[in-house]
Amino acid sequence: MIIVAELDSLISWAEKNLGVEYIEIRYEDIFKHHMALKDGVFSTFTSLHLSGYGIRVLVDGAWGFSITNKEERLKDSIIDAYKMAKASSFSMKEKIELAEIESVDDHVPSKMRIKPHEVDMEEKVKRMRGLEKILKEDKDVSSSEIRYEDATGEKLLVTNEGTHIGWDVNYIWQYISLVGKNEKGMASVRDEIGSVDEGWEIFEKENEEEIAKRMMRKLKSQLNGIQAKRGEYPVVASPIIVGIIAHEALGHLAEADLTINSPFHTLIGKKIAPEYVSMSDRIVEGGFGNDSYDDEGVAVRDVHIIEKGILKEIMLNREYAARYGMKPNGHARAENYGVSPIIRMRNTVFERGDYDVEELFEGIKFGYYLVDFRGGQAELNSSFQVGIQEGYIIRNGEIAESIKDTSISGIAIEALKHISAVGKDFGIEMGRCGKGQMAYVSSGGPHMKFEKGIIVGGQR
Amino acid sequence: MNLIALGEKYFDEVEISKYRRREVDISVELNRISMASSSERSITVVRGIKDKRMGICVVEGDDHAIEDAILRAYKMARVNDRDERWESLPTKQRYREATKVDESLKEIGSDFFVNLLLRAIENIRREDENAVVAGGSSGSMWIESNVENSHGVDISQRYGATYFYLYLIGRKGEQVTPGIFDIDARRDTNLQWEFVVDRLLRKLEKAYNVVKAEKGESRVIFEPFALGELLEFTLIPSIKGERKVKGTSYLQDKLNDRVVSEKLTIEDDPLHPMSIVNIIADDEGVATQKSTIFENGVFKGFLWDNYWGKIEGIDSTGNGYRSFKTGGIEIAPHNLVIKEGNIPVEDMIGDIEDGYLVSLLQGAHSSNPATGDFNVVANPAFRIQDGEISGSTVFMMSGNVYDLLGRVERISKEQRMIYAMGKGVYPHIEFTDVKIAPVNR
Repeated sequence: MIIVAELDSLISWAEKNLGVEYIEIRYEDIFKHHMALKDGVFSTFTSLHLSGYGIRVLVDGAWGFSITNKEERLKDSIIDAYKMAKASSFSMKEKIELAEIESVDDHVPSKMRIKPHEVDMEEKVKRMRGLEKILKEDKDVSSSEIRYEDATGEKLLVTNEGTHIGWDVNYIWQYISLVGKNEKGMASVRDEIGSVDEGWEIFEKENEEEIAKRMMRKLKSQLNGIQAKRGEYPVVASPIIVGIIAHEALGHLAEADLTINSPFHTLIGKKIAPEYVSMSDRIVEGGFGNDSYDDEGVAVRDVHIIEKGILKEIMLNREYAARYGMKPNGHARAENYGVSPIIRMRNTVFERGDYDVEELFEGIKFGYYLVDFRGGQAELNSSFQVGIQEGYIIRNGEIAESIKDTSISGIAIEALKHISAVGKDFGIEMGRCGKGQMAYVSSGGPHMKFEKGIIVGGQR
Repeated sequence: MNLIALGEKYFDEVEISKYRRREVDISVELNRISMASSSERSITVVRGIKDKRMGICVVEGDDHAIEDAILRAYKMARVNDRDERWESLPTKQRYREATKVDESLKEIGSDFFVNLLLRAIENIRREDENAVVAGGSSGSMWIESNVENSHGVDISQRYGATYFYLYLIGRKGEQVTPGIFDIDARRDTNLQWEFVVDRLLRKLEKAYNVVKAEKGESRVIFEPFALGELLEFTLIPSIKGERKVKGTSYLQDKLNDRVVSEKLTIEDDPLHPMSIVNIIADDEGVATQKSTIFENGVFKGFLWDNYWGKIEGIDSTGNGYRSFKTGGIEIAPHNLVIKEGNIPVEDMIGDIEDGYLVSLLQGAHSSNPATGDFNVVANPAFRIQDGEISGSTVFMMSGNVYDLLGRVERISKEQRMIYAMGKGVYPHIEFTDVKIAPVNR
């Protein structure tokens, strides 16, 4: 393993000999297991060992980045990063600057009670087999796939500003997809869980029976569902659905690198939603995006994106914090050492309101209750699309038939204005976000009622 | 060291696949270079089978790391269950002659791409002061691979490519246009960046004028990128042999049936002249081939890897793709080619009295892969009125991919190489009676 003093020495060399303004070295040494159980066979049964260094330098106001997985090539790799920065620095009329931060010397221990590497492979196999057995007991299930991944290792960040942070890296992730078939047709549904704070103990509450019950509810709602009616109707959205809207349609606009090109750019400080609507990206109990520091060594703090209807804060890295004249808030994340940190969400949630969930359904003659999704995507103009894998018709205030193969869409900054009630419950779902790199995130909130602003797509 | 021989001490059969990837990437954000990166990474995947128990290990590093990986893969295999359907790794293959590779791609420097991007940004800003180059990138990749196994497969390949893409928005006061995207990717350095810039500017000009879509059924032209996104999550899952074996493919009992419009011929062709990855062997070392999927609308066959092909009792079509994140093999097309038509895109648009042109989709990944049902948002999309694009719009489209592909009106003679979702070579396709629901703005 690399000795921190050696990295410090290389960093000093780069400052002295290359004149870099800023240099960081991120080292990772991670062991993973990935298993995919597809219809009785482990199609993937893999041990992974990924280890290397990511070097980022700022030279004459331009970024350069390089990687190596050989310790003896570290100096060459620093020179490569320097050359990359120099290649574009001549063109930088406006030099990149970084917001000031306090240097940090810290170690972030794992909060897991039972770390993944403390569990025998046999036990992991047994649990997946048991889960598959329960899932396959239902005659409508024609195909199943359970993917499980865990990681254990260490991560280190050393900068020329004196930051030295080490992390115990651990996570657990599981993804299930089912294909079902009955006399009405075929359907597919998915489920995802993950954790960075809870270890193997997560499966005490996410046990086989609980997961299977959830999957069957989703699958049956699709298989037995009717086609939705296209158009704009009142919607009651569950914590999972409001979470994906928070993430896709609003959260991305509040990532400073995207804010600048979005409608949010001119709306900071303005009222964009009713006063009973608040939304944050923050540390949440069990959140998949939880951490103490980001990959630039900035302490993670809660970001109150919408507070009582006012667009207040956005998520920042050091570069965009300097650009906006704000303080960085710990949202620079890199998927691994092989890529440089970019602005990412962590746990994006709407905050609780004061309605009982039952009250949200009152007064709806015809509308939809949307419970769970498969996939979502948004554009910079705040147009969003979310595929629905569990939804129901609301008829005269009551939950009626389930709907199949539909998705919802809207313009988020318009839909926000039509939120008429916010529940007092709260829930989150774990997931992954792709923005060139993959990041583990969660999203959620309470049940919410949209009078208008959500278009339901459907075959009718 | 003979690593295969070492692996055979532990396994009945073993496969060692080495990949070395060199990349240069220059990224753009907000009209300026935001990051310049270079990387060189070596990844080795060991897949071994002992008593029908499989173990895989993925490592970065040299021969010493690979020796360790063989042992790790063996430890995995020991705790895996027996797979009674496992037959064997692929046997020795006969390969086609490899396409000539542009060796200059191996060492191309960052200055080349910085220069292209700066010229493009300058041109765009000069032509439209409200345009913002919100994102983009240009760079190169060079890959060297070797797949070797216990049965005599030993195939080395090298290939490279360059790419150039930009993502523009227009900002006038509080109005922000949808993002406009275009790309060129090639097996040489002759990137058509001026063509990309011209297309972007022409679309952006139309995007400032926002018009409403109307609920109903309409004629819609899908641009190649939108088509690729849709097919990736609706059609492509059903052409994989694994789904055929499991009975979860829409196409499983439709061999030699006419399933889509007779105007459509779709092939998987890794050596197509426009393909940017001309490979002669897949990630299991099986020889690649041109596979016809639909011929004049008739379904002609699935794509197979070694494992699922053997279960079905037929040869792999050379479509085994390795995931570096898991080391596992999945079936995937190399380069899906939709045969071109005979009408220029401009004429297709010119003939439409009232319809839409769809550039990109949102939410194609939420489609139902089992049935091909989709509900997607067309964004950016453009309204066509009296043969001209009148402005940009956003709407939802609902339907079923097989039904949609059955209603092909016309196919353009121009094709584009798509190196993203639905990777392949696609023309513009005009469909009739597409169900539309407007999304308010």
